[in-house]
Amino acid sequence: MLELRDISVSYGAIDAVECVDLSAAPGTITALIGANGAGKSSLLKAVSGLVKPKVGRILLDGEDIGALQPHERARLGIAHALEGRRLFHQHTVEENLVTAWHFRHPSGDFKRAVDQVYANFPILAERRRLKAGTLSGGQQQMLILSMATLHEPRLVLLDEPSLGLAPIIVSQIYEFIRGYCAEGGRTVVLSEQMASLALKVADQGYVLRQGEVVQSGDSAQLRGDGVAGAYLG
Amino acid sequence: MVFFLQMVFAGLSVGAVYALIALGLNLTFWTTRVLNFGQGSVLMIGAMLTAVLIAYGVNLLLAVLIALVAAGLVLVVTEMVAIRPLLKASGSMGWVVSTLGVGVFLQGLASLVFGTQAVAFPDVLFSSSATLQIFGAWVSVQYIAVFVISVVIVGLMELFLRRSTWGYGVRAVAHDRELASLMGIPVRKVVLLSFVVSGVLAGVAGILTSQISGTVDPGFGLHLLILAFVAAVVGGMGSAVGALIAGLGLGVLEKLIAGYYSPAAAQTVAFVLLVVVLAVRPQGLLGKKETVKV
Repeated sequence: MLELRDISVSYGAIDAVECVDLSAAPGTITALIGANGAGKSSLLKAVSGLVKPKVGRILLDGEDIGALQPHERARLGIAHALEGRRLFHQHTVEENLVTAWHFRHPSGDFKRAVDQVYANFPILAERRRLKAGTLSGGQQQMLILSMATLHEPRLVLLDEPSLGLAPIIVSQIYEFIRGYCAEGGRTVVLSEQMASLALKVADQGYVLRQGEVVQSGDSAQLRGDGVAGAYLG
Repeated sequence: MVFFLQMVFAGLSVGAVYALIALGLNLTFWTTRVLNFGQGSVLMIGAMLTAVLIAYGVNLLLAVLIALVAAGLVLVVTEMVAIRPLLKASGSMGWVVSTLGVGVFLQGLASLVFGTQAVAFPDVLFSSSATLQIFGAWVSVQYIAVFVISVVIVGLMELFLRRSTWGYGVRAVAHDRELASLMGIPVRKVVLLSFVVSGVLAGVAGILTSQISGTVDPGFGLHLLILAFVAAVVGGMGSAVGALIAGLGLGVLEKLIAGYYSPAAAQTVAFVLLVVVLAVRPQGLLGKKETVKV
C-alpha cells in the first residue's frame, strides 16, 4: 500500500508537483496520466527518493519512508524503472541483471530469478552476452522491466513504459505488468501520456496537469468522464 | 642492443607505475567525474611516511602498511572537504582548484614536518645493487619487482571491477549514479571506496617509484602525476587494461628518448602523444565512446 499525503516537489523556483494526495492498493495498477511536464516523473522520483519533496509524507504500508535514501528504499522493496531507456548500456544483459540483484540483498536465488526472466522474455536469453546498449528499444524495455521486478518488490514504479515502442511490444509489456501485479498483491504505479492505453490496463487513474491532480477515480469512471479521449499531449 | 634493452626494461618498470597511478585517477574519475590534481602529493605522502617511519626503526611491513592507510585516508578526506562540497552546484569546475589546493597543502605540510631536503629511500624490495641478466642486459632486480608488483595489482583491479559485487557497484555508479541508487547500490559508500582504493594505489605507486629513484622529497609526485594523466587519457578513461598498455608504452618511450636523445625531451614527447591521441581518438586507445541514446 502506497500513500502520498500532500506531496509537493519543486526544482528551485519551479513547482513540479503541488499538494498531491494519492493512494495505491496492493494488487492494483494506478496510472498517472498527463502531458509532458505535468509532474508524473517528479512524483515517481519523490516516491523512489531521487528527489526530495518540499513538503508531504510518503507512506509504504504505513511506514514513513520520507527520510530514506534511494538505495534504502530499493532494499525495502520499491523498484523504479526510469523513462528514457535508462540501463547500464555498456554492460551486458546478464551484468545488468547481476547489478540489479546483488545490492538489494534479496533472499531468493539469483539463478532462479534470472531463469524466470529468460522464461518471460526468451529474446533476452539469446542476447544475454550482448551489451544492453545494442538491444532494440523493445528489448531494452523488457530488460528494464526485468531489472525492476527481478527481486519481486512490493511496489513497482514505471515511468512511461510504452514510450516509443511498437504496439505489439506495448501489449506484451503491459501483459507482463498486469501479470506481475496480480501475483501476490503487488502495487504498480505507472505514468503514461496515452490516456486511453493507461485506462485500459490500470484499475484507477490520476490525471495531472501542471503538477496538480485535476481528476481521479477508477478507470471505468474516468473513461466515462471522457478522459481517455481528452487531448493531453 | 644491450643499451636499448636496458632502456626498455627501465621503461617497462616506470611505465607500470604510471599505469598504477593512472588507474587510481581513473577510479575516482569514474565515480565522481572529478580528476584529482592533488594525487601527486598522495604519492609523496605514501613514500615519505614509509621512508621516515623506517628511519625511526619501525618494522618495514608495518611502515608500508601505515603509509598506505594514511594515503587512503588522505584521499577520503580530500573527497569530503575538497570534492563533495563543490559538486553540489551542478556543472561546477571548482574541484580543479580545490584538489590542486589540497596537493599544494600536503606538499607544504610535508616540507614543514619532514623538511624540504630529499630523504634517502631504504631498500624495501631487494637490494639496489642486485641485478639480473636478461638477454644480455643487466637489469636491477628492483626494476623487475616494481614491474611485477604493478602489473599484478592492475590485474587484480581489473578482476575486482569485472567479477566482484563491489566492482559491479563501482561500474554501475560510473555509468549512471541515479540508476545505481535505484538498484540498491549505496552510491556514497561506493564513491568513498573508490577514493580509498585510489589512495592506496597512489601510496603503492609512490613507494615503488621511490624505490627506483632512491630518494623522496616533498615536491615528488607532480612529474609522475602528469605522465600518469597522459597514460590515463591515452589508455582511455574507462579501462584498466588500456591504462596499463598506455602506461607501459609511455614509460618505454620516455626512457628511449631520454637514453638516445635527451631526458629533457621525454615529457615533451609525452604531451605531443597526448595531443595526437585527443585529436585522433578522443576516447583513448581502449576507452569506450560515451554513447548517449536519445
